[in-house]
Amino acid sequence: MENIIELKNVTKEFKVLNRHEGLKGSLKDLFSRDYKIVRAVDNINLEVAQGEIVGFLGPNGAGKSTTIKMMTGVLEPSAGELIINNRIPYKDRSKNSQEMGVVFGQRSQLWWALPLVESFKLLKDIYQIPDENYNAMLKLYGSMVDLDSLLHKPVRQMSLGQRTLSDILAAFLHNPKVVFLDEPTIGLDVAMKSKIREMILELNQKKNTTVILTTHDMGDVDALCQRIVIIDQGKMLYDNDIEHLKKFFGAYRTLKIRPREKVTEAAAKLKEQLAEFEVSVTNDDTWISILVNEEKVRVMKILEQVQEILNVRDMQLEEISTEDVIKKIYNSPLESGEEVAL
Amino acid sequence: MKQLKKYFALTRLGILETIQWRLALFVMVLGNLLYLTLIYFLWKAIFTSAGTDVVNGMTFEMTMVYLVLASSLYGVVELYLVWEIGRNIQNGKIVLDLLRPFKYKQYVFWENSGTLVVNFFVTFIPTFIIVGLMTKGTIPLGWNLVYFFVAFIFSIVINYNIDFIVGTICLYTESIWGINMMRQVIVSLLSGATIPLAFFPDRVASVVKYLPFRAIYDTPLTLLMTKNPDLQTVMSKLGMSLFWVVAISIFSAIFWRISIKQVTVNGG
Amino acid sequence: MNQASTTKSGIVLQKRGLAFYTKIYFKIIVQDIKSKMSYRADFIISTIGMIATNIAGFIAFLIMFGKFPSINGWSYYEILFLYGFSLISITPTQCLLDNNWSLRRYVYDGDFVKYCFRPINLWFYYISEVFDVKGFSQLFFGIGTLIYAWVKLGLPVTVLMVVELLVALVTASLFMMALQNAAAASCFWIQNSFWLLDISLKMKDYAKYPVTIFNDVFKFIFTFILPVAFMAYYPSLAILRPDEVPVLTWLSPVLGIAAFYGSYKLWMKGASKYDGSGS
Repeated sequence: MENIIELKNVTKEFKVLNRHEGLKGSLKDLFSRDYKIVRAVDNINLEVAQGEIVGFLGPNGAGKSTTIKMMTGVLEPSAGELIINNRIPYKDRSKNSQEMGVVFGQRSQLWWALPLVESFKLLKDIYQIPDENYNAMLKLYGSMVDLDSLLHKPVRQMSLGQRTLSDILAAFLHNPKVVFLDEPTIGLDVAMKSKIREMILELNQKKNTTVILTTHDMGDVDALCQRIVIIDQGKMLYDNDIEHLKKFFGAYRTLKIRPREKVTEAAAKLKEQLAEFEVSVTNDDTWISILVNEEKVRVMKILEQVQEILNVRDMQLEEISTEDVIKKIYNSPLESGEEVAL
Repeated sequence: MKQLKKYFALTRLGILETIQWRLALFVMVLGNLLYLTLIYFLWKAIFTSAGTDVVNGMTFEMTMVYLVLASSLYGVVELYLVWEIGRNIQNGKIVLDLLRPFKYKQYVFWENSGTLVVNFFVTFIPTFIIVGLMTKGTIPLGWNLVYFFVAFIFSIVINYNIDFIVGTICLYTESIWGINMMRQVIVSLLSGATIPLAFFPDRVASVVKYLPFRAIYDTPLTLLMTKNPDLQTVMSKLGMSLFWVVAISIFSAIFWRISIKQVTVNGG
Repeated sequence: MNQASTTKSGIVLQKRGLAFYTKIYFKIIVQDIKSKMSYRADFIISTIGMIATNIAGFIAFLIMFGKFPSINGWSYYEILFLYGFSLISITPTQCLLDNNWSLRRYVYDGDFVKYCFRPINLWFYYISEVFDVKGFSQLFFGIGTLIYAWVKLGLPVTVLMVVELLVALVTASLFMMALQNAAAASCFWIQNSFWLLDISLKMKDYAKYPVTIFNDVFKFIFTFILPVAFMAYYPSLAILRPDEVPVLTWLSPVLGIAAFYGSYKLWMKGASKYDGSGS
């Protein structure tokens, strides 16, 4: 398939003034020429095909937003090549925008004091959307959300959820090839989050729109992304689908046992008798946790063993969550990308 | 004492923040100089055209010194607080500020006092020194400095209270720009910031004399420029300012209290 | 560039030319006025504030000239003419470029980024967002003052004079817009452009005085660096002193266009430098 986004060795550096502390330091800064170079994005390579949904994950300040700003043409990369939709985005920003939709966090791009429909009408003119396409789009929107209640409400009177929803609808209105969503579900309640995710997914499928989103929320990733990119300190740590990531880190499962016997004694017994399977056994006041690496031994096998040793009152099986995976990556910064990029 | 310390902490932060705008600070100083040049040539042309050295008891030199100091005083006293209060009301941040362990009126003032201090040292003091050196003796050095300083403190208080009253009006109107515009225009005209009160027609001047506005620019500056003023004049001028300090402080506090109640009752 | 291009869904796009922008501008302005009307109290008070400002400015003018009947060989009515002239020529800046006053806040907060994603000219899109209706109040003051001074000066009313006046007004407006636009754009470099904007606004108050009051150095500065002299003085000379029109007066329309274009370029350069990080 044709690539809509291509990044080759893209790097972005910022010049930052070294600021000093305190009143004296501030006075010094008045005349200081002491700059340092901060590398916000470090040698990133990426190819995205039309219709993909790619999630950018990473902690605050990792370089996700900077990467997105380069792809939208707001920022010029310091080095490297960047092609979006066969164009260099920062060279012809306004032409490029025709095929893009952007939602930037909670910064609404809609006309604040006016009903949503007025914003839509203006966007229709700005993007030169033909009547039939516009009406078809509104019809599609109407089948997904309760559009009538939104259309005639001034944006400033909307709840945060409604506003985000409206902003996303506005970003898809001109049927762009790519839509960038920066933290689309931040600050929303669970119901609204899932509504917005459904909507994004449906628009992606119906319109074959490429969606690039940044998020902190693993829920977004699980619901939307076939593919994730993890960025930390400007470097790309991982670029593959979510199952690979889980398999790599998540061959582990945790078996939790609540015994009828005293917990500490039972745990000690297990530790001794399960030693040959190379599992780690820990316990709290009521539960014993057995961390199992399924590549070495199957969980069911361990459970059988346990039942022979103990009188089990209750049990749970826990998957290692994607959140844990991310945390694990952050906590043990990897030396190079290759190790994880499977 | 502890009370004061917590306020001074705000002042210090304000100083730090103001200095962060380093380039803007240079530009501000440069811009002020340009503006003063305009005033200088304008009044020089006016005096030349008038054909006399003294107009309404003011020489060209005195007029210039007065206007230069007035403009630098404006740079100190004008903190654009109506904007801040108005915006806080509009975006609801005021609710947070009301929860702080400060009285709101005090909080806003002290939060911005840092800027005031920086402005005083960056704008007023250098202007004062340069003007003093250049005009050699137009500004006498003596007790008048003390009188000026007292009047200056009064000026800050009165100006702040006017700002605060106008800011409070924003609670009702949701309008900032228009109201602030009116304030700025009225204050700068009636306080003698743009044209010294001495040039006003007598009838107008006799009314303006009794309004609070003159305490902001006219009173401190005339006190500063008068050599050995007799004590009675000084006291009557400062007394007038003090009267307005008390009156306007009480008024603005009461007005705020009534207004904020109105707002909480109406759930605004 | 091609006259038209085709999008993903096969729409043929018109080239975005003058007709397109005019149409969009009026549509956006109508929206802006609609939203202003939704804050009616604010609108009324602002208009009153604007009128009060003009009255106060006028009073200050009267006070000054109550004492001094002429300045540097310029009569009261001639300066009144320049005053009215400058009020009219500030109107386009006031009405059209008002959003520039908010620019520094958008840049500082990082909100400016939201303007960067539209397929139309960035400056245009930003500027079109706000149209300041109350700017008209000074237009009426200005026209009134100008006509009054015109009559009192006994100037003839001919087609040529009216054309000259219109050209002069457009020229002066271009200079005022250029100065304000450039001052606002400075926030892309120095973060806080407020003082510069404030200065540019103050400058227009002094546009009504003849540039001859300055010595040579400042005459140069206020003519070529900060073009205060072009905001009323040079353009009006053709009307007020038709016998002694300097070359600069004839050149002023061209210079005005150049200044405005330069300020636009500066603004766009600043915007392309904007990194969206917010400080």
